[in-house]
Amino acid sequence: MKIKNSLVILLVMAFGVFLFQVYKQHQTQGSLNKTAAYYNTNTPDEVGASNVVTAIVVTYRGLDTLGEVTVLFLTAMIVGYILRHGGKEKPMKNNTSEILITAANVLIPGSIILGVYVFINGHLTPGGGFQGGAIIGTAITLMILADPLGSVKKAVLHITESLSGFTYILIGLAGLLFAGGFLDNRILPLGNLGNLLSAGAIPLIYSLIGLKVGTELSSIIASINETGNKTA
Amino acid sequence: MVSPFYILIVGLGLGFLLGMTGKKQAALTNMLTLFAMAFFTGVSLHWIQGLYTGAFQPSMVFSAGFKPPFSISLFLGMHEAVISLMINVLGLISVWYFREFLLRDSKPLGAVLLVMFMGLNMLVFTRDLFNIFVFLEITAISMSGIILMNDNHHAHAAGFKYLLASSLISAFYLLGAVLIYFSTGSLYLDDILTMKSAFAPMALIAVFLMVIAIVIELKPFPANGWALDVYEAAHPGIGAIVSGAVTTTMLFLLNKILVLGSDKIYLLTASVGALTFLFSNWMGLQQKNPNRLLGYSSIGQVGLVLAILGMKPVLGDGVEMIGFGVLLTHFLAKAGLFWLSGTVKGSSLESWAILRNNPVILTIFGIFVFALSAFPPFPSFYAKWELIIGLSGTGNYLLIALILLGSLFEVIYLFRWFGIVVKAESEESDSGIEWGKAAGPALFALALLAGGYFARNYLSAPDMMNFIPLVAVVVLWVLDFMPAWAKNTLLLAMVGIYSWFYLPQYSDYQLIFGIIFMAGAVLTLLYGYSEKGKRPGFYPLTAMMFAGLIMLVEATTLFGFFFAWEVMTAGSYFLILRGKKSQPHALSYMLFSFGGALLILAGFAMAHAVTGLWTLDALVMDSPLSPVIFIMLTLGFLTKTAAIGLHIWLPGAHSEAEADVSPMVSGILLKAGVYGLIVLFMRMGTQYIGGVDLMVILSWVGILSALIGNLMAAMQEDMKRLLAYSSVGQLGYILFGLSMMSNLGWLLAISGAIMHFLYKTMLFQAVGGVYSRTHDRMMYRMGGLIFRMPMTFIVVLIGIIALSGVPPLSGFAGKWLSFNAVLQKEYYLQGALAVLAGAVAFLYLFRLIHAPFLGQLKDNLRKVKEASLWILLPQYLVIAVIMAVSTVPGLLLERIGKLLAKTFPDGGLLWVDSKIPFGARTAISEYGYWNGTYVMLVTIGIFGILLIVQLLMQRNNKKVGQFNIVYSGERPSTPETTHHAYNFYAHYSKALGFLMVPLAERFWTWISERVHDIAHQLRQLYNGNGQVYLMHIMFFFLVCYFLINGGF
Amino acid sequence: MNLTIDKIALLLGMSLMLIGLWGGFTQKNLLKIILSFSIFDTGLNILIVALGYLPGRTAPIIDGSAVTPENLALVAIDPVPQALVLTAIVIGFGTTALLLAYALKLNQHKKSLDINQFTDLKW
Repeated sequence: MKIKNSLVILLVMAFGVFLFQVYKQHQTQGSLNKTAAYYNTNTPDEVGASNVVTAIVVTYRGLDTLGEVTVLFLTAMIVGYILRHGGKEKPMKNNTSEILITAANVLIPGSIILGVYVFINGHLTPGGGFQGGAIIGTAITLMILADPLGSVKKAVLHITESLSGFTYILIGLAGLLFAGGFLDNRILPLGNLGNLLSAGAIPLIYSLIGLKVGTELSSIIASINETGNKTA
Repeated sequence: MVSPFYILIVGLGLGFLLGMTGKKQAALTNMLTLFAMAFFTGVSLHWIQGLYTGAFQPSMVFSAGFKPPFSISLFLGMHEAVISLMINVLGLISVWYFREFLLRDSKPLGAVLLVMFMGLNMLVFTRDLFNIFVFLEITAISMSGIILMNDNHHAHAAGFKYLLASSLISAFYLLGAVLIYFSTGSLYLDDILTMKSAFAPMALIAVFLMVIAIVIELKPFPANGWALDVYEAAHPGIGAIVSGAVTTTMLFLLNKILVLGSDKIYLLTASVGALTFLFSNWMGLQQKNPNRLLGYSSIGQVGLVLAILGMKPVLGDGVEMIGFGVLLTHFLAKAGLFWLSGTVKGSSLESWAILRNNPVILTIFGIFVFALSAFPPFPSFYAKWELIIGLSGTGNYLLIALILLGSLFEVIYLFRWFGIVVKAESEESDSGIEWGKAAGPALFALALLAGGYFARNYLSAPDMMNFIPLVAVVVLWVLDFMPAWAKNTLLLAMVGIYSWFYLPQYSDYQLIFGIIFMAGAVLTLLYGYSEKGKRPGFYPLTAMMFAGLIMLVEATTLFGFFFAWEVMTAGSYFLILRGKKSQPHALSYMLFSFGGALLILAGFAMAHAVTGLWTLDALVMDSPLSPVIFIMLTLGFLTKTAAIGLHIWLPGAHSEAEADVSPMVSGILLKAGVYGLIVLFMRMGTQYIGGVDLMVILSWVGILSALIGNLMAAMQEDMKRLLAYSSVGQLGYILFGLSMMSNLGWLLAISGAIMHFLYKTMLFQAVGGVYSRTHDRMMYRMGGLIFRMPMTFIVVLIGIIALSGVPPLSGFAGKWLSFNAVLQKEYYLQGALAVLAGAVAFLYLFRLIHAPFLGQLKDNLRKVKEASLWILLPQYLVIAVIMAVSTVPGLLLERIGKLLAKTFPDGGLLWVDSKIPFGARTAISEYGYWNGTYVMLVTIGIFGILLIVQLLMQRNNKKVGQFNIVYSGERPSTPETTHHAYNFYAHYSKALGFLMVPLAERFWTWISERVHDIAHQLRQLYNGNGQVYLMHIMFFFLVCYFLINGGF
Repeated sequence: MNLTIDKIALLLGMSLMLIGLWGGFTQKNLLKIILSFSIFDTGLNILIVALGYLPGRTAPIIDGSAVTPENLALVAIDPVPQALVLTAIVIGFGTTALLLAYALKLNQHKKSLDINQFTDLKW
């Protein structure tokens, strides 16, 4: 064991040396590089979003984001698959505390609204589909914690998730057919910078992402929760 | 042109939709998945067609309508289209293959498979370094999903280890992608490439990180324990996806990113790949589980492609084609094998024996094994050739050695497996194979053949080969359903027609060996008429061996020679394998032949590097390398002639082969090695190493082979083994003759080769005739067969007289020649041993006639009949030839002498007319003269007189009845000891036993055990602990980093 | 050495990575290993953001007062690392969720979370 531990120390130290090389090579930049400069200069005109990060995430590098959503989709799918055919044992007793239940009832509606707000305003303020989706997911988690035996309607989650994903693809396709390329947001008018209905398809896409992420996170939690119920 | 985005749109769109389906729509889901994959495949085909015909140009598409580097771009060229076609075809077949799983778990599996293949496609197209990270993750996560198709704890553990490993790998990649952005301000590959010359240190680190991450994805040694577990635990169909599609994608990706790397990074990749190839195949030697074995093999093959790609700065852009050749073979063969694995129940190599119930499946399996072993005509063969030629041109001998050793290990386990499948006792023989699942392997096997056909176009060597002989193989393959006699006639006719047209075009040595091979084919095929039934597979394989032989004779280029050599090896391996108990011997034959072929390949490559020629005249050279090349090529050819030390495959292979295969592989095939030596010696001449004449060493090898081979032959109880060892001895003589490098020496060798062909063919056929009646090869269970099989007896008698060098038959000529040659060369010590070996030869020959034919007729042999006409016919043809050349030796020797005078003008025999009729001529040497006709007439005279005396005195003879020997009620525990011929030379064995210690056998056994021990030690690395695997990855990463950067 | 805020963040991220690595290599409990890798990922994400930091600049979001479309390029930091890190976080989340689900399944089978228990396949 000792040998192994000293090996680990050696490995970690060596990796530390490697990281230190990275550290040494790093120089704090004084100005933007050409890519960043382009984004920061052209986003308002080209994409119409106030939040440049959102413009990059949803439009310029929208393909990455679609990939991310896909990763979450796969994760939700596979977690459900890993934890498939649990036994049919009696569910364990519901021993959730009163405080949790009450707090959940108060917090859940607010959280969901907050989540929706965050993803709808993704192009204007910090935040966006993922952040909003995560908030919604948290709300659902709270719901499950408060009532582990209550049935979350997984079918509803799946349909919402699938349809929002599918619509996302369709919007991307519309960009390919009617605008500059796949996921081009200029299929809708860019509107006035700073308005809620601006930046073309970005609010739409980010809402779909928000819905999708929220439902995916929820269904992951629900899958894990079900398994816990059945085998405990 | 269909935009590559449509792959993403259809894949993801359907994938997302499948998320809502339930169990009830399983059939529909399955259909949709299949449809999407078919769409992918169709699109790939459309691209290839369009790009090929020029309907559209390679092009770039941008996401979101902005130009890179500000958006993500996909590039589609011919390379991308081909790789995507490979991936998508595999995907399509996989979906079909998994349909029962898809019907059960349609929702997750269908969607995950679709998304996964979409992701792989995107990885091929994308030119954005961060986008690669995203799709890498999609691939990794989908993998962790489909591993679960096998719902058992092995698969779960393997999936967990896989996920842990891939999260560490992706962290490396992510860091790399981010650092390259900070360093260059771009994530667009082509953009960054323009800045390559001005990379800051940070960018170098970034490129290293990205490259190493993809390299680790490709499972380098030792950071690959996680992958092996996946191969073993997951459903074999997933093995096909990982090993085929994922690996192909990753290799393409690596090739895409590597362009950013410095030469150091390339070198690192090449070294890692070569070591992985070597060690992975090495450890494969110890594998018993087919899927894990395939895993090791996959990792090895991928290592080889890595090594090839890493050689780009040295070998130029041509490496991509070479790498693709290896990759394509690996892709098709490995996916096919994994799919076959899914149809075999049971997890041992033996359980695959079920494949042999169906000849088609067995053929497919054989194609995969031979393709992986880089035999012609598969793409890997051409790739191997190009690679070794290229590497030796740049002097990378270490890399050549690593690669050749690795491929030898690979061949060991692949052919061990193949032998088991074809021959081993099967535990379960009736459980069926799911035929629907064999469609994929069949398609891929066909693709391999087609790939080989196209691969020829990329050959850099001129390939002026006559492929007509191979047509015979194909024709007979197609007509394999016909009865044996029909195919026999067909092949005989083809041999006849071919000889009629082509033999007259040959000259010199070509002609001699061409005649040997073609006459050999005729003789063995005549024997073939004695076989009943269909003999499935026999005729195409026979045709393959003879095709190889004749192409060898016709070869004028290095490539053609090597090609023919491999064809011949493959054909003869199969023929030997057909024997009942021949599996281990066929394997050792294959290993020695393959090892020899690798040496030949390396030798040719070096010769080409020195002289720049593609013809066999590349061997004419004067360079410091020549002795090395000479040694490698000689060793390569000596494996085929079974010189002592390299002979251990021969006795088993020749004796366990079928009755008519033995003469082929003994009388005929061994001559291929002799031909090789002649080709070599003619061109390279005598070579010295450190002042030592290598020819002198070879003469000792030859003479020791002769002596020890003959001694071993004398001690055998099995007729065929006896003949087999006798071949070792005879070939030793031939080598001895060649090594003299003189007119007489070569005359001895070449006439010896012709004679050995005649005797050995005849004797093996005679013994085959005996076996066909007695079903026995043990001499101590026979006796008195002269009464039952007189015709065969006569053949053996003549064979013995001829072989032992007693006048008047041709063997005497050989003996006379050898004395002359030895005296001329002043090889007195070797000469004395040659005489001794000749005496020993007589000992074993005596046994061959004495034990089975003379003495009392055994009870159980009383009803034995003479061998059938078709067996006797070729033997008597040979006798006719022997009689002719014995009576008029000038027919043969004088002609050969004339030919030799071109090479060795001095010291030949002088032929003068004599007064004897028939125009017979006398041969005169420095030391004496000899007239064969005269000797023949005298001998016939003496024997005639004695015969008349004998006949006149015959009435005085008294017939004696045979006794039934009774053991006085005792039953001997070893009945063979009661036979007078058993262990006949026990006394010699006592006296000379020290010469017969199986040193060579012990040596090779020792080597084999050490190799397997090391394999076992090496694989202890993979102790099954996922955490340790992570440490391997980290260790590998750090070692590579510090190697590249030389420490701090 | 002058420790500015971005250097401190950089060192923090690297330290987290090393801590995560140490945990990942020494802990026996599956859950702790997964957690360790989460820490490692977090460290990596901090590292990325820290590398992209430009001193004295603000978030690249137009708010109409401090940041306007015209001065965006002069006052805002590089938005790309933010976008990249968002992707990395989400993907890290996915991997962690999967690992946890796997751990749950492994635990069901052997009633143990010790990684040394899952070495049936080897060599």
